[in-house]
Amino acid sequence: MSPGPQLDALISLAGITKSYRVGDIVTPVLHGIDMQVRRGEYVALMGPSGSGKSTLMNLLGLLDRSDAGRYLLNGQNVTRFSASEQAQMRNRTIGFVFQSFNLLKRMSVLENVALPLIYAGASRGKAKERAQDLLQRVGLGALGSRMPNQLSGGQQQRVAIARALVNNPPLLLADEPTGNLDTHTTEEVLQILAQLNHAEGLTIVIVTHEPDVAKHAKRLVRLKDGVMVFDGAPGAEAYA
Amino acid sequence: MSLVQVIIEAFRSLAANRLRSALTMLGIIIGIASVVLMLSVGDSVRKFIDKELAVLGSNQLIVQPGTPVEGGARRRQGDAITLTIDDAIALNELPSLRGAAATRQGFFQVLYGTDNSNSVVLGVTPEMFRLRNWVIDRGVTLSDSDVKSANRVIVIGSKIADQYFYHRDPIGQSVRIEGRPFTVIGVLAGSGRTLDGTDLGDLLVVPINALPLRMPLPRAVHYINVQAKDEHTLAEAELDVKELLRDRHRITADKQDDFQVTNLASIAQTGETIGAGLSIGLGVVGAISLIVGGIGIMNIMLVSVSERVREIGIRMAIGAKPHHVLMQFLSEAVALCVVGGAIGVGLAVLGALAVNTTGKFTLILGPGHIVTAVVFSTVIGLFFGFYPARRASKMLPIECLRQD
Repeated sequence: MSPGPQLDALISLAGITKSYRVGDIVTPVLHGIDMQVRRGEYVALMGPSGSGKSTLMNLLGLLDRSDAGRYLLNGQNVTRFSASEQAQMRNRTIGFVFQSFNLLKRMSVLENVALPLIYAGASRGKAKERAQDLLQRVGLGALGSRMPNQLSGGQQQRVAIARALVNNPPLLLADEPTGNLDTHTTEEVLQILAQLNHAEGLTIVIVTHEPDVAKHAKRLVRLKDGVMVFDGAPGAEAYA
Repeated sequence: MSLVQVIIEAFRSLAANRLRSALTMLGIIIGIASVVLMLSVGDSVRKFIDKELAVLGSNQLIVQPGTPVEGGARRRQGDAITLTIDDAIALNELPSLRGAAATRQGFFQVLYGTDNSNSVVLGVTPEMFRLRNWVIDRGVTLSDSDVKSANRVIVIGSKIADQYFYHRDPIGQSVRIEGRPFTVIGVLAGSGRTLDGTDLGDLLVVPINALPLRMPLPRAVHYINVQAKDEHTLAEAELDVKELLRDRHRITADKQDDFQVTNLASIAQTGETIGAGLSIGLGVVGAISLIVGGIGIMNIMLVSVSERVREIGIRMAIGAKPHHVLMQFLSEAVALCVVGGAIGVGLAVLGALAVNTTGKFTLILGPGHIVTAVVFSTVIGLFFGFYPARRASKMLPIECLRQD
């Protein structure tokens, strides 16, 4: 059986399974995943399409529910959390960065960044103040009053990173964060992530299909057909 | 998440779809406008009737000579003069009544200075003032001795006083009726049409015997006003009046009354019924358009939810709890209804002003009507917005995020 959770594990998965049902056809996606992520790790999740990496990411982010298994996040068993408890957990413990940025179109950049704080119960004034700090940190301090569609893709993704970090979560989940970006801005975004991991000890799990992106991580997990086929340093994969 | 934040977001989201929001509101606007007008019409009709009844004096019965049958043919009503001043005096003694007053009336040439007109003049016994709630503004009222000695004195309405004696004291002046001089002793307060069609301000009232009118019998009168003690004893009073008059007129059990009693309360009742009918008619229109409007709101909110599934997913991902999503969509529905309701109230106010400028009828719009409208539209927003909002809040974040 899987080993017990390590003391400094931020994420601890044991026997996670997930299948999708369309009509009478049940398609299994994850076959019993056991995985630990310690605080401060930078993990790249790779695998061909259909390998289950996105499904695993959604389960980690509490956006979806597993069929079986146990998930400990930040010391709490979140497996059977209610929708409301899950939302609270996503709000305080997890920051999300998506491939398509997922900023709200009708809100200004500053309001987008402030929104997780509003949901956490902060006052408008406090939330905007903190959001401005975060925008400053991703180098967009002057663009708070713009609307998201007035920004370039790279800028939008930096806004999304600011939003992900505004509640100071210990975990950042990034799903193909550079998938819609050109080489130059990809590098910028990866620099920011590396810096956050290195300087602030932010735990990062990133899903990508680009080896160049995965290179930035300190640990590579490769999935295939719903099982883990590799877990180690990115450079060591060739020898596995 | 504060309420202010919720409201700001609701209005911003409605502003993003201005035309759609406006069209959705239309049903609520019409519904609330008609509900407010309905409440107003109902109250106004009731107030109008109350006012008219107060002028006329409430709980009134009018006793008129009957329709005598002569040689098998029914003759014109009032042809037979069967009621007398003595009937009125006897009725006035009945303990179940507040009083009874006899009246004669007719058209006469009335002359003051160069003002020559043909007007109705009433000849009454003094009880009439009390029964009809006629209040003396200046001077004195008719006395029993005025009636006994058929004094040529007259009490006039306020409009007549203004018309004849503009800015001068009418008391002591002389008015000629059919050439005979009558001294003005009093002026009545107030004016306005009464339910029997006369204007209080146009009244010319003299002692019943002083009216220069030749009656077939010296003591005959045209009608007798009777007032019951209160509305509960009205029916009892009517029976007492009939019994007394049949007795006095020596009508045997097999014969019909030679008089007839009209209950003015029943006329008022008819007015109330018309008011209530109007209220119900407009109310049904209002209720139907409110329901249709509410369904429109529900429909648009369902569309809005399915259009914004991705937004819901994003909000959930960054920490929106189900109740946050529920509040968001519910507040949009309520905002639609409250804004629609406010516009509806505005329309109702304009409608009431339009009616009031015609001068024929006064529509009263009070804070009560407006509060009712606001409460109504909020309830509709909550009721019809709840299902779409709940549906939005029950969605799984991942299913929302997968949508394009």
